[in-house]
Amino acid sequence: MSSMSSAPVMPAPGPATVRLALIKTGIECYGLDTVREELFPILRSAPVRVRPPERVAISQHLLRGYKWREDKAKRRTVQESIMVREMAHASGPMTVYLQVPQAYERRLSVVLRAVGYWGQSSSLACCLGVREAPPVPGECALPLTLLNGTISLRPYFSCLATEFRTDRLSWNELVADDDVHSTKALRLDVYIWPMVTEYRQGTQKLLMRVPLAVSAQ
Amino acid sequence: MTENSRTQIYELSVNALVSWQAHSLSTAGSQGTNRLLPRRQLLADNTQTDAVSGNISKRHHAALAAEYFAAEGCPLCPACRVGDGRRAAALIDLPDYQALSLERIVRECALCDAHGFLVTARNADSEAGTAARQKLSKTTLLDYTYALALPGRHAETGQLHTRVGASDGEGQMLMKISARSGEYALCVRYRCVGVGADTERWQLFVKDQAERERRHRAILRALRDSLVSPDGAHVATMLPHLTGLSGAIMVRTSVGRSPVYSALEGDYVARLRAMTDETCRIYPFESVDAFYSVMNEFIATSVPATHPFWKGEGTGSDTQGNG
Repeated sequence: MSSMSSAPVMPAPGPATVRLALIKTGIECYGLDTVREELFPILRSAPVRVRPPERVAISQHLLRGYKWREDKAKRRTVQESIMVREMAHASGPMTVYLQVPQAYERRLSVVLRAVGYWGQSSSLACCLGVREAPPVPGECALPLTLLNGTISLRPYFSCLATEFRTDRLSWNELVADDDVHSTKALRLDVYIWPMVTEYRQGTQKLLMRVPLAVSAQ
Repeated sequence: MTENSRTQIYELSVNALVSWQAHSLSTAGSQGTNRLLPRRQLLADNTQTDAVSGNISKRHHAALAAEYFAAEGCPLCPACRVGDGRRAAALIDLPDYQALSLERIVRECALCDAHGFLVTARNADSEAGTAARQKLSKTTLLDYTYALALPGRHAETGQLHTRVGASDGEGQMLMKISARSGEYALCVRYRCVGVGADTERWQLFVKDQAERERRHRAILRALRDSLVSPDGAHVATMLPHLTGLSGAIMVRTSVGRSPVYSALEGDYVARLRAMTDETCRIYPFESVDAFYSVMNEFIATSVPATHPFWKGEGTGSDTQGNG
């Protein structure tokens, strides 16, 4: 959960971030109309799985933040405060698994290759390759609701991640026009990541990828 | 670059290894002590390294770019003219800017266009008598990584400084400020094609190509200067000694990304070189003057690419523009 003054980091982007990045980059590659009419119906409902990098180190940074406030006399004043931002450094590639109809494979390959960042624009990324493969079992982040009590959650990293509210989301619900008020297009789910904390000191921690193991019970 | 006198650049990235000696460009504050703490980042191999925040580098570029925009005759909004970090969001209370639109901001301010802005949405408030406001935003065209010191290639020396308090009662204070030195990996990405345009819906607002080129030149000049003349915190008394700059500039000439690969990996130039193709070129540099020359050549000969959706649009003068 992030706020204006605090933004914890995730080991890798969540499913809604992946969909939104593909929609944004798709518009750059194919235009707004093509994405809205042809790619969006696929992207909103395609199963997305994210396999995090092998190791992710997380550090907390304090940054200076400024906020403009209006007092009772309508005077605008600047307030200085401290913001907390977590930054991640990863080792090894992240894999995004996207299940799409074969007819869309070529076009979505172009879009995937053109994604320059996932989520934050300062998290620079480049695509190393696009190929057909099933997700590696146990090595992708999963929503808690899918685990169904079969996995011992204790050692694994968990956090809230966004997902599209429904796989039938309409374009206008996601992209608010000038006349349309934005709606709740996204929902929050608890995600369990196949990562355990290998090292922790103060506000710094190192996560290592470990496959989600089925509980002995 | 010389084979084509007008290189169209869609996107450009600078992948650099910078050596700074005795600096304190970015700090994590004092946390209530008399010691100014350096910024630190944990790496995935479990080593802790020195860091310089990307925010500070980006702010430095914006300040430099504003000067170059003014020199090139590019328009700046009243907020950017006086260095107000809110940019377009500072205009909403001004009487002349009540009907603010994305197109107007992009056309009338080169700095808001290049570094982005956010005017937040607001619901109508009948008690306060304020009308509803739509969110207006443009994402920045320049993305900065944190500068991260190569593990084992950085050092820190504690320096004792005296500081006089703000009042007589505070007296003289002793402050411990660290002077840091090291070789830092730094990447910058510049999406040239987005100059004068809405990069969400890919609409061209600044249709005068000459104005887009002026903005592009100013951005490149500021990018060149920000690397050869470092700026950040504590430069008044701890201006870094720049002792090395090497790396590679990657240029994408049509739709797609210019690769970024960090100098944290020793073979980064080789990896970048291996990614070149007919639309992705590499310009390696091994010294500060080589970087300066490559950037000067880009400033003299490159133009921001025209997106395929705008063919036939960005050619003549902008009839509605004021640039």
